[in-house]
Amino acid sequence: MTELLAKEAHDEKWGMVIDLDICSGCQACVTACSMENNIPFVGEDEMAYGRGMQWMRIRRYWEGEYPEVTPDYQPMLCQQCGSAPCEPVCPVFATLHSEVEKINLQVYNRCIGTRYCANNCPYHARTFNWFDYEIPAPMNSYLNPDVTVRRRGVMEKCTFCVQRIVKGRQQASAEGREIEDGDITPACAQACPTDAITFGNLSDPESRVSKMVRSDRAYKELENLGTEPRVTYLKGGKSYGG
Amino acid sequence: MTEKISRRDFLKISGIGLTSATVITGCGPSSRYVTRQAYANMPEYNQTGVSTYYATTCKECPAGCGLIVRTQEGRAIKVEGNPEHPVNKGKVCSRGLTTVQGVYNPDRITGPQKRTRGSRTTTAMEWQGAINTVAEELKNPQKTAFLLGLQSDHLYDLVREITEKGGFGKPVRYGTLGTLEGRSTLLRATQELYGFDQIPFFDMGNADVVFSFGAHFLETWLSPLAYSRGFRQLRKQPFGKRGYIVSFEARQSLSSANADEWIPIKPGSEGQVALAIGKIAATKAGVPAPAIFAEVNLNEVSQISGISMEKLLQLGELFGSDNKAIALPGGSALTTRNGLDAAKAILALNVLVENMSQPGGVFPTFGENHTSDFAAVKALIAKMNAGEVDTLFIHGTNPVFELPASAGFQAALKKVKTVISFSTFEDETAIESDYVFPDHAALESFGYQRVLLGSDRETYSSIQPVVAPIHDTRATADVLLAAILATGGNLASDIQYTDEVDYLQKTITPLIEKAGSYSAGELPTFWSKWLQFGGWWKTTSELNSSEIEINLNQKLSFSAPQSAKVGETFHLVTFPTQMGDGSGANRPWLQETPDPMTTVTWNSWIEIHPKTAELLGIHDDDIVEVKSSTSDFSVEAIVYLYPAIRPDTVAIPFGQGHTALGRFAEGRGCNPAIVWSASVNQAGDLALSDTTVTIKPTGKRRPLARQESKEGVYGEH
Repeated sequence: MTELLAKEAHDEKWGMVIDLDICSGCQACVTACSMENNIPFVGEDEMAYGRGMQWMRIRRYWEGEYPEVTPDYQPMLCQQCGSAPCEPVCPVFATLHSEVEKINLQVYNRCIGTRYCANNCPYHARTFNWFDYEIPAPMNSYLNPDVTVRRRGVMEKCTFCVQRIVKGRQQASAEGREIEDGDITPACAQACPTDAITFGNLSDPESRVSKMVRSDRAYKELENLGTEPRVTYLKGGKSYGG
Repeated sequence: MTEKISRRDFLKISGIGLTSATVITGCGPSSRYVTRQAYANMPEYNQTGVSTYYATTCKECPAGCGLIVRTQEGRAIKVEGNPEHPVNKGKVCSRGLTTVQGVYNPDRITGPQKRTRGSRTTTAMEWQGAINTVAEELKNPQKTAFLLGLQSDHLYDLVREITEKGGFGKPVRYGTLGTLEGRSTLLRATQELYGFDQIPFFDMGNADVVFSFGAHFLETWLSPLAYSRGFRQLRKQPFGKRGYIVSFEARQSLSSANADEWIPIKPGSEGQVALAIGKIAATKAGVPAPAIFAEVNLNEVSQISGISMEKLLQLGELFGSDNKAIALPGGSALTTRNGLDAAKAILALNVLVENMSQPGGVFPTFGENHTSDFAAVKALIAKMNAGEVDTLFIHGTNPVFELPASAGFQAALKKVKTVISFSTFEDETAIESDYVFPDHAALESFGYQRVLLGSDRETYSSIQPVVAPIHDTRATADVLLAAILATGGNLASDIQYTDEVDYLQKTITPLIEKAGSYSAGELPTFWSKWLQFGGWWKTTSELNSSEIEINLNQKLSFSAPQSAKVGETFHLVTFPTQMGDGSGANRPWLQETPDPMTTVTWNSWIEIHPKTAELLGIHDDDIVEVKSSTSDFSVEAIVYLYPAIRPDTVAIPFGQGHTALGRFAEGRGCNPAIVWSASVNQAGDLALSDTTVTIKPTGKRRPLARQESKEGVYGEH
């Protein structure tokens, strides 16, 4: 029993905390994610049709009336739900939960493009490859060899940079140690100019994310749906001292 | 040049075994001559499947952030921030991230070429021919001019040395990012008021109250990543304290959007508002108002700026309270006819609250700044028109695109016998040139960036190639040095550098003696560490408290700000985006990254307040003609109804509207520089914020590709 508990303590349950008080909405995370994960650019027409492939997008809401008008920013990405609405609707088990990382996986070579998962996602976090998007040579030279290049008819979404999680685990194992807090940083958190994004293991009560999740500013998006999101937001507030 | 050593010899000499995820350098004096190989012919020190990381410096803007570039099998894969670098501390912005799309851009110029001006007809050349051409042109120093961009510093330093020793005119250095933030004005005001010769460092992270007069500190202002970190620090102070930001500008920028209060003041009234705040703050603090503030009439300021008296008093008292306050002089305040005095008024606020060289205040920085003001560009244009320039060398800037059309650069260019561009892309200026001798792309070149406005210590940031050049390009410094050697004579004996790397090594040699974050006994070791760490900097912060005596007993004079006729003419605000000086427009992922405020992609737009649009009968996605009130120049822009802008003001982002620069940039949006007023302020900077325009519907419509909603695609169209 104690062994089991000890094992559980070392389990991975990856999570993210985004502090909306210091998120400036600058979009660096969006670009960073796209460059890391070989996300194709779709061009002006497809963007206008709402077919942009950004795995991370900054939701901007105008609040108030001129001159007291101000935007509220919320970075939105796959929430890696513990009880994910996208999973039970996939007829071919292309979207499923990983045992190890406790995240939602998208298995590209299983996906047959029914788009049921995207329709069932309350966060609009999934993007679909409507076409094969060309990256003209030699621009394809920068493609990340750790990440599959997807083709037409396949659904995709944020993976919490699973390639970096795997690398971090391999690195730790090669050095004969456990993964430490801060070993693994997804591309968005790494780039974020104000360090608003924190990533870590939620099953470790001492990790930075676990501590931040306990903040009284913490909330989860659409929590009432019972999706058990792994992304926690810390409320922003433009009030002095608040 | 020098004999190349084989890769195997190189491994023997340096004896380095690589592990993954280490930042490496060539580790030896000969390493610069080891050729980095392309994918098909991979170097032995690159293991298949294992990434190699190189430290270098971002060349996308003059801020000089440190990068670590992940390479694999000889290709640059991903740009990451250098965590040790004092400017950006491991962070990186959208522009920096897309650097690889610049290197591997399909529209790069692949080798030296002779061109027919105004057309896209080119004839390929050999580099020897190119060097001979440059050498021929260098023989006539009085009639040769250099026009350079804001990066890189090493090329500017080299050209300055060449021009000084060879009897050429001083090189002109121009870039739109410097223009939009009024860099020359800020420098001049600092010299005249503070008495030091550098653009200061504003320690907003340790302040309690920040008054920003149009400073886009989260976007492009001076050193955006350093100031983004300052923003974070301001918000996350010890014991839960949260700094307060008040932003004054006519159009809400991303920085104003993140401020606690946005005050939409009338464009051009920033300086007088600063004076009023100074006067009220002095009263609040119980000190006699210094002469600079004393005579300002609060009622008048309230009227000019559109800020109510009540609000003005409240803000002045906030600034003068016990909090540590700081005032930032931003571009929209400085690029007006009153720019210099406005800058002084804003800088004087810092003196009033005694934050000079105090934590949370204003500090002198390190090293000289070299930026030419617009007046210098105008002087160059006048010389060109007078036929006094036979040869113009252009590097790192795109004047045909960046300068206001009314400045007449393009017409003046026709009077120059030989125009030589060193651009890596076929941009608007390259098309008007006789020769293009392409420089390497950012990740293929050597160099350094010296003037770092976001660093709290003396810093030199090194640039090194992380991949082998993929095209037949050559470093501009190498071309100039080879040409000087070919010219012979006095200049060749005065400029004793064998090549670019030799120049860099000789320039950084004095740093060995200075105590920095690492030490080295001699140059080869220092050079390898210089490359490995991505530069050289001091170990600790050098923002030391010191006493600076500043006299505020002077008077400023403000002429009435540019006015707009209600419902007829509008103030035009030009704001920078992730496209920077416009060179970012050929990066598809910068195009596809939504604008933070409007979520528009792949295009540019004109922001109009919904009420104004209603009065003019204009709708979202209408195309309007934007015509300068003072000249015949006009552009067409797509309307975006923007709720956070003064009704008497319209705004256009800078960077789009290219007629050249490759497939991703061409034919998108409009270039506001075309309608800019070409008048200058007292510091010689372009007074572009004084531009007023008229708006006329054209009857055409075009939906903007915005991320925020699908209206206009599934709706009306």
